[in-house]
Amino acid sequence: MSKVASPRAVFVDHPVGRTFGPPDDRERNETILARAIAEIPQFTEPGTIRDLGCEWSSDGSRDWEDELRAEMLRDH
Amino acid sequence: MAFEYLPIMTQNSAPKPPRVLVKPSKFAWCPVTKPLNQSRVALLSSAALRLTDQPPFVPRDDLSYRRVASNPAIGPIVIDHHSGIGTVPKCDPEIVFPRTALANLASRALIGSISPLHFSFMGGLRQHEQVEKELAPALGRELAEAKVDLALLVPY
Repeated sequence: MSKVASPRAVFVDHPVGRTFGPPDDRERNETILARAIAEIPQFTEPGTIRDLGCEWSSDGSRDWEDELRAEMLRDH
Repeated sequence: MAFEYLPIMTQNSAPKPPRVLVKPSKFAWCPVTKPLNQSRVALLSSAALRLTDQPPFVPRDDLSYRRVASNPAIGPIVIDHHSGIGTVPKCDPEIVFPRTALANLASRALIGSISPLHFSFMGGLRQHEQVEKELAPALGRELAEAKVDLALLVPY
């Protein structure tokens, strides 16, 4: 995200392709979307990235990274 | 530390040269002029998604886009993007294209209204100049015609 020039960007630290949460979790979908939209008025200049502070796993585990890496390499 | 996507994308690009990320020739910036609860919002998605009765995207260089009805009741979404990460979002496109969540935000009056149409196109295109000079302006015109105040791009 930091390599491109978006006017406004929020960072959601989820696996790519799961931006708004796990499948069928409508509450989480809505929470993340609401937080992203609520950030919009806070931007004052282009190129800024605001971190929403989202974590994929409730315990902070990063195990999903290995799974995602394998998925991206296996299926491409 | 955030997950490093670019090394994997480079590996996946072979035997083609690694992808080159380009910056637009003009930095886009439009001031926000309305409160969120008075703003009309649209979604943009690079997942090459569409309604089931719309023509499929043709990987990998399809520069077209689809107008997707914002009402979730209109019908299910299909994701045509070729990315290997598609297994999960193809089962539940709402996790990359939150039509239902946006509708709920409108019903809660957190946003003013929803654009009647959202828009989707193929992410990962290598024809950067055509994206900037053809695809992006076309999408801009669509958003202006729909009187959209805020367009939220969800990258894929």
